[in-house]
Amino acid sequence: MAQHNLGTVISFEFVRTVTKLRFWIGTLSVPVIMAVVFGMIFLSNTSTSTAAEAQKNAQFSISYTDASGLITPADAAAFGAVPAASSDAGIQDVRSGAVEAYFEFPAHPESAAVKVYGADRGLFENGKYAAVAQAMLARAVAVRIGSPQLSGLAAGSAQVETVTYQGSEVAGGMNSVIPPMAFLVVFYGLVVLLAGQMLNSTLEEKENRVTEMILTTLKPTTLITGKVLALFMVGLVQVAVFASPILIGGLFYRDALSIPAFEFSQLVFDPLRMTVGFLILVGGFALFTTTLVAIGAVMPTAKEAGNFMGVMIALIFIPFYSVSLVISEPHSPIVQVFTYFPFSAPVTALLRNAFGSLGVLEAAMVIAILYVGAAVMLRLAVRLFQYGSISYTSKVSIRTALKAGSRHAVAGPAEK
Amino acid sequence: MDEPVVHISGFRMDFADTTVVRDLSFDVRAGETFGFLGSNGSGKTTTIRALLGLYEPTAGVLHINGRPFKPEHGSRLGYLPEERGLYKKEKVMDVMTYFGRLKGMDRHSARQWSLAYLDRVDLSGKAATQVDKLSSGEQQKVQLGVTIMNRPELLILDEPTKGFDPVNRRLLMDIIAEQKNDGATVVMVTHQMEEVERLCDRIILLKDGTSEAYGTIDEVQNKYGGRVVRIRHTGPIPPSPHYEVTLEETNYAELSITDDTDEAAILRELMDAGMVIRSFTTTKISMEDIFIRVYGEHNESPSPAPGRLAATRGA
Ligand SMILES: Nc1ncnc2c1ncn2[C@@H]1O[C@H](COP(=O)(O)OP(=O)(O)OP(=O)(O)O)[C@@H](O)[C@H]1O
Ligand SMILES: [Mg+2]
Repeated sequence: MAQHNLGTVISFEFVRTVTKLRFWIGTLSVPVIMAVVFGMIFLSNTSTSTAAEAQKNAQFSISYTDASGLITPADAAAFGAVPAASSDAGIQDVRSGAVEAYFEFPAHPESAAVKVYGADRGLFENGKYAAVAQAMLARAVAVRIGSPQLSGLAAGSAQVETVTYQGSEVAGGMNSVIPPMAFLVVFYGLVVLLAGQMLNSTLEEKENRVTEMILTTLKPTTLITGKVLALFMVGLVQVAVFASPILIGGLFYRDALSIPAFEFSQLVFDPLRMTVGFLILVGGFALFTTTLVAIGAVMPTAKEAGNFMGVMIALIFIPFYSVSLVISEPHSPIVQVFTYFPFSAPVTALLRNAFGSLGVLEAAMVIAILYVGAAVMLRLAVRLFQYGSISYTSKVSIRTALKAGSRHAVAGPAEK
Repeated sequence: MDEPVVHISGFRMDFADTTVVRDLSFDVRAGETFGFLGSNGSGKTTTIRALLGLYEPTAGVLHINGRPFKPEHGSRLGYLPEERGLYKKEKVMDVMTYFGRLKGMDRHSARQWSLAYLDRVDLSGKAATQVDKLSSGEQQKVQLGVTIMNRPELLILDEPTKGFDPVNRRLLMDIIAEQKNDGATVVMVTHQMEEVERLCDRIILLKDGTSEAYGTIDEVQNKYGGRVVRIRHTGPIPPSPHYEVTLEETNYAELSITDDTDEAAILRELMDAGMVIRSFTTTKISMEDIFIRVYGEHNESPSPAPGRLAATRGA
């Protein structure tokens, strides 16, 4: 009976959401806005080089080999680079931590890529290796300008391939960050798009005065669970809609759109990080939804609930304001607080997980916190809805609702 | 079968520091239509909500079929709340099938039943209309339909006819009577006394949160004087231990019989006193009169309202 009702609630809530014109206007507008934003980023791409400028000045220890003979010891010394005995020795130095980076300049840098090996310093920092390698080459050839081939190199158009090491292991770099990062993107999208609907989902019964009919027809837990699951499904539909132009564009029209070489096959799917990411996504979504549903059950109108929702969203996305801290210093106290405080945990932990700085034990704790938090919130939301939502026009006293709930629980078993 | 469908005993309900219902006890028996009456604010809706688990009672036992009501028990309940409402942005048929399914019907039979019902209440063209595009009376018809879906065993109707025109009110009362004939137990809150007289087997009259009268309509009528004599006459009415004069106009009077004296004996008594009687009819006291008697006249309850009112007026 209850199982059957859960299905009925899910299908009713899901169907009535996705059959509304409003839903599709909202959903389809996102890919359009995304396209506009990407277009603008593409047009203003030049600005990224300024960031590289700054990184060039970062000091770190370098060894190099030069098969082209372009780089004089004086050029190298200007960057604090020392020659390595061989390519293998250079790589070995990076892996053992003796130097931070080893550059392998090829015999023909105008056609072959400069190979850069560096200690993994995180996504934003790793760019400095390539920047410095290019700067070294550019300085070396600046004196020999005259040949068109060389002036091309001087303008910084040498190709550079970067390999970074975590300890002695090759780190996946961007390719290993992207897949688990997708969970953060999905989480962000779900929350931004669905927050209003989550909040409204229980307010709806109140504002339409259907609470009494509903509560005497089915268990509040069934109703709330059904609503949460239906919302999750709605969210998946939206994510699928948003992702479809990217996937279609990426898979079929890559050449036509001249998207920079980006091979899906190169993405590194670390099973542990993917699993952790998925679990955090689901747990975070569940916690967030049940919290909003609880808020909806307490507040008499959407307007009043909206204020609380703002605070919630701020809490959830506060880690974004300190994103560089989260990535570069995952063990600083503030990042620790963000990691374990239930509402900031999903974003913080998903970020750290994507950049590989979330240990297994930490991940397990975060996941536990999220699931326990969601379960507690679900119970709270159900109680608030059950004992509070008849007060159509006034705020529910949380204490009254909880008291009523607990007395109910005590009274229950006393009946035969 | 002897167990009452609804059993309430010692029910008390406090909101903050005001007591709204106190020491209320009554039973509703299987198959009967029970009138739940009382003035505005006397605690009827509160009692129903507590019975259905929507409010937590401060004290007392409120049982349906021998235990506190829980929707998951699967007892077939049809509840028409005082606070009406449906999902406003959905189509009539979608809302009806949703509730039908929650009440245990399959999609197909819920649709079939709904179509037939809409036809019956003159809404056959409105199945695909969004609920908030219906008039309030039409919405109420849909809501009553939702209430009686899947043949409820217990119907609890909080003012089912409010907001209906006389034609539709008649239609509604017919539908409720049908449910009763099908064997449903009906608990009905209403302020329409003719509905009570027409439909109800037993009633309870609530006053200031507790029972003022409880029993069959006959029993309650007897409690409030029971038989009334209406006479057209000339000459003064003699005083008597057998009746009380409740209304006296020039040539018309109403006497309420206060003991079990036979009507004929009363007539003889009046004529013996020299009165000329042109017509003499006996009837039962109407529920309307009882209601006015209970709530209208000797309303000397120690409510603070009149005092406060006087104070404001004085200022
Ligand atoms: N949630 C509540 N909080 C505080 N007081 C309440 C609440 N619900 C009802 N009351 C009070 O309880 C009293 C009884 O209300 P109730 O709705 O039960 O009356 P009623 O008999 O149904 O009246 P009506 O015939 O007008 O519908 C009223 O004085 C009302 O103010
Ligand atoms: Mg009422």
